[in-house]
Amino acid sequence: MFTPIAWNNLFSVGFAALVATALVVILFSLGVRLSVNADHHKAQAVAGDAKALRTEAFNRAVAYALFALSFGAVVFGVLLIIPGVIPGIK
Amino acid sequence: MSPVVIVGLVVALAIFFDFTNGFHDTANAMATPIATGALKPRTAVAIASVMNLVGALLSTSVATMISVGMVNDPGSLKPEIVFAGLTGAILWNLTTWFLGLPSSSSHALFGGLIGAVAAAAGLGAINFDAIAQKIFYPALFAPIVAGLAAWLATRIAYVITKRATDDEVSTGRGRFRYGQVFSSSLVALAHGTNDAQKTMGVITLVLVAGGLQADGGKVQLWVVLAAALAIALGTFSGGWRIIRTMGKGLSEVKPAQGLAAEVATAATILASSKLGFALSTTQVASGSIIGSGLGRAGGKVRWNKAGQVVLGWLFTLPAAAIVGAISVVIVSTGPAGIIIDAIVTIGVIVAIFQISRRNAVTHHTVSSEIEEASEVVETKRQRKAAAKSGKANK
Repeated sequence: MFTPIAWNNLFSVGFAALVATALVVILFSLGVRLSVNADHHKAQAVAGDAKALRTEAFNRAVAYALFALSFGAVVFGVLLIIPGVIPGIK
Repeated sequence: MSPVVIVGLVVALAIFFDFTNGFHDTANAMATPIATGALKPRTAVAIASVMNLVGALLSTSVATMISVGMVNDPGSLKPEIVFAGLTGAILWNLTTWFLGLPSSSSHALFGGLIGAVAAAAGLGAINFDAIAQKIFYPALFAPIVAGLAAWLATRIAYVITKRATDDEVSTGRGRFRYGQVFSSSLVALAHGTNDAQKTMGVITLVLVAGGLQADGGKVQLWVVLAAALAIALGTFSGGWRIIRTMGKGLSEVKPAQGLAAEVATAATILASSKLGFALSTTQVASGSIIGSGLGRAGGKVRWNKAGQVVLGWLFTLPAAAIVGAISVVIVSTGPAGIIIDAIVTIGVIVAIFQISRRNAVTHHTVSSEIEEASEVVETKRQRKAAAKSGKANK
């Protein structure tokens, strides 16, 4: 009565779910890590330490970029499921 | 009885089913962000409602699978059969909800339809290949995938944010709360894409069965809009009841874990919706919350609790199929049977809502399956607390 499992489709879902989840969480976690790094240098930066100021600014900028990237990855994932929005994806 | 009247009844019941789905599943999308304090309850409910509406408008792959895939020749079906299947699903769903038994609205819907079609037209009328490929195998596979993805993501999040002093302040893990605003919205959007489409599929199926639409492969715009609005309104109304109670059972879910579980849930549902897999979103979310619980250091499975959850999952489809088959026997007796079936269904709906309104709203009377799934994993802290209270009792 039941036909064999179409593994291709199931693997596609599994692969997409694993990769998308890992990617978004890696980007966001790195963002969290760097934003905490930035906070650790904040006191010294406020006190006038030029190196700490640069480190804080760099960490915070990259952290925000990573948050933006993770948000972008989510938006791209949603667009993938709408037919015809991404060229070549039905 | 005129087919148009029965089609009208099915459309009304399907919209009602969609409304109750949104009403019930708000908790699933928004349980963790409310529990971790990422979102205020009112904001969470409003976001869930809007995202469900948007999600319902994104795709129709699942709806098409139901309207043309489940039955071999949808045009040869009588609308009465769809009516019986739907009433069977609603009766099973509301009864299990009232009794507090674990159940899945989606599987109740599929079970009701399959049971009704099998009882009325024989097993040959059912497209078992499509049901196996698009419902049965994904139902087994998707919660495991979501659990695996959530487990992996939780491990990654904890490794990346690990510090010498491993508390929430020095690791900054509390900041995952902000990410949860997006991840929980994404779950609500994914819920809309999969669950609202089931209603669209049933309405399209009955339109084809009633001769009001020639091709089941295309979902009409009014059907899409009606299903989207019903699920959004259901989410909004259900939320007001749920926000008074929710989150208490999820105190062990930490923000990083919540984000990982939500992203895994949404990614699995969205990828499945793309391929037309009709999933139980509750089961996927439960798989994720269990996976993320195990991803945290010291998480252990409570196998008896896990067994209860899985038993509820396995039981729903065949049980709803039996109720659907009984409904079709009643409906097949003619107009009187249809009226009896409709009166019984409406009577049960009204009775259950009246009784539930009389009961006080507590954490125990309104909780989500996600909270139940979170109890499957026992954390290190819970084990220590249990050991301490055991010693105190001695």
